[in-house]
Amino acid sequence: MIAVEHLSKTYGSYQALNDVSFVCRPGTVTGFLGPNGAGKSTAMRIMTGLTPASSGVATIGGVAYRDIPNPSSQVGVLLDASAQHGGRTGREVLTIAAKTMGLPKSRVDEMLALVGLTPSEAKRRVRNYSLGMRQRLGLAQTLLGDPSVLILDEPANGLDPAGIHWMRSLLRSFAEKGGTVLLSSHLLHEIEVIADEIIVIGHGRIVAQGTKDELLKGSGTFVRALDPSALVNALVSAGIESHVSGAGLATDATAEQVGRAAAAAGVVLLELRAAESANLEEMFLQLTSDTQRDALATEGARA
Amino acid sequence: MSAPAVDLNRPSIPLGRLVAVEARKVFDTRASRWFSLSILGLVLLVMVLQAFVFVDGLQDLDMFLAFSGNILGYFLPIVLIMLVTSEWGQRTALVTFTLEPRRGRVVAAKLIAGLLLSFAAFALAFLISLLGTFLASSVRGLDVSWSLEGDVIRNFLISNTIAVLVGFALAMLLGNTAAAIVGYFVYTFIVPIVINLLGSFVDWFGDIVPWIEFSSAQTPLVTGDGSLSGEEWAHLATSGTIWLVIPLVVGILRLLRREVK
Ligand SMILES: Nc1ncnc2c1ncn2[C@@H]1O[C@H](COP(=O)(O)OP(=O)(O)OP(=O)(O)O)[C@@H](O)[C@H]1O
Ligand SMILES: [Mg+2]
Repeated sequence: MIAVEHLSKTYGSYQALNDVSFVCRPGTVTGFLGPNGAGKSTAMRIMTGLTPASSGVATIGGVAYRDIPNPSSQVGVLLDASAQHGGRTGREVLTIAAKTMGLPKSRVDEMLALVGLTPSEAKRRVRNYSLGMRQRLGLAQTLLGDPSVLILDEPANGLDPAGIHWMRSLLRSFAEKGGTVLLSSHLLHEIEVIADEIIVIGHGRIVAQGTKDELLKGSGTFVRALDPSALVNALVSAGIESHVSGAGLATDATAEQVGRAAAAAGVVLLELRAAESANLEEMFLQLTSDTQRDALATEGARA
Repeated sequence: MSAPAVDLNRPSIPLGRLVAVEARKVFDTRASRWFSLSILGLVLLVMVLQAFVFVDGLQDLDMFLAFSGNILGYFLPIVLIMLVTSEWGQRTALVTFTLEPRRGRVVAAKLIAGLLLSFAAFALAFLISLLGTFLASSVRGLDVSWSLEGDVIRNFLISNTIAVLVGFALAMLLGNTAAAIVGYFVYTFIVPIVINLLGSFVDWFGDIVPWIEFSSAQTPLVTGDGSLSGEEWAHLATSGTIWLVIPLVVGILRLLRREVK
């Protein structure tokens, strides 16, 4: 079990993490979702003792990562697959990790086979690896010690469709065997497919967390008008926030509030209804719209 | 579900295993293998030249030892420097400190591995010196001396060990391969010249030179009978603090706090 309690991190005057708390339970895959620069990698580096927290604590199985004996044999960590010595062969990278953990050489071959790196690829130097091959190598290293906890920063990065599919089933069966998985992504559909629990982070703050089903329940109102820009103006002057959703707009306001705002401005509505289960992508944009860097630009362009 | 909690009773990674892994890193890329081997190759090359080409009189065993010791003194510290700095240059520190988050142990393992490899190199240099002496006398037919006073070996060991320690300390302090190598050569070549030059022009500075210049403070160790007066020990202690202890301590303290990414 991973527990993060009131974690904050400041770089100078910049607050990269702001009072972040969550837990990841055994037997579940937890997706850590957030736009670029949200603080996912920073949080994961703090969990693994690579970055000191400004305040708050992160524990794995009740203790700090650095207090776990031979930690990599219990917690598989993949933070950056390209942080490898370019001059080493793939096999050498795994051999170093296996030797440090005290594992037999045979384990290296098993993992190479598991992640689908051929013997001739394993002899190649990592400098000449493709992005996806590095990612596979990183995953192999993560799984070497047969850990019970996995912390993976954007593990799908660079994997081809077959690789992504393989990774999904790997993480699923890992969790089914009682393992704890935390993986980050900004690939929304990735999290939607893999995760049981979802934590959404934006600008260093948790903006939503819960089970996938909880979070997928829609809220607010969907509205579509004959003249979309007139509708936007009507909502703005009524003080109702909205964002583009399919052919119309989604808002947190009630149908009555939206209807009155439209009527007052004489806007012709084609649709006005409770938003049905928004897909995760909408939720993600919605929850991070005030923090996401592209939000204003996108809305400005479409309005 | 019963959580397969983290097992706190597992043995932690023994230091010996960390040392073995760090020693392996010195040879596990084509570039690092090539560099280590070419140091040895250079010692061999100079030995052959010394045995067959150098003027008569430079072929005693202790002369061979002096030449090979000089070569090691220049290049072995670079091996230790790279053992430290490539972790940052190649960003492998991320993995290294994930495998063993107690960073002080990793530093200790690197230092021990570097020293063990250095001693192995000293032993090889000694064998090569024996071979050189043998070749000079048997093949070239020179009259050579095989005698080796105890302090020649001791001085060889002391000065080369200090050299690799300074390289290691500067690497810990500077954290960058180029900077640490430049720093090391500044320390060996430029600092002694500048400090001694200054000392000869500025009287009061001349008095403090022995206290801050590490190379000349080591001279009594490798000359005469090797026994040091109280003041010479004090010179060694103060200049060694400046060049060895401070960079090492500052470097380690910074590493313990530093963010690894
Ligand atoms: N050493 C540092 N100094 C200053 N700011 C930093 C430092 N490290 C990280 N940051 C900032 O902290 C914020 C969070 O970065 P982080 O890498 O955790 O984001 P992320 O969620 O992983 O993003 P991505 O999806 O792009 O990987 C960013 O704004 C980043 O610029
Ligand atoms: Mg990141």
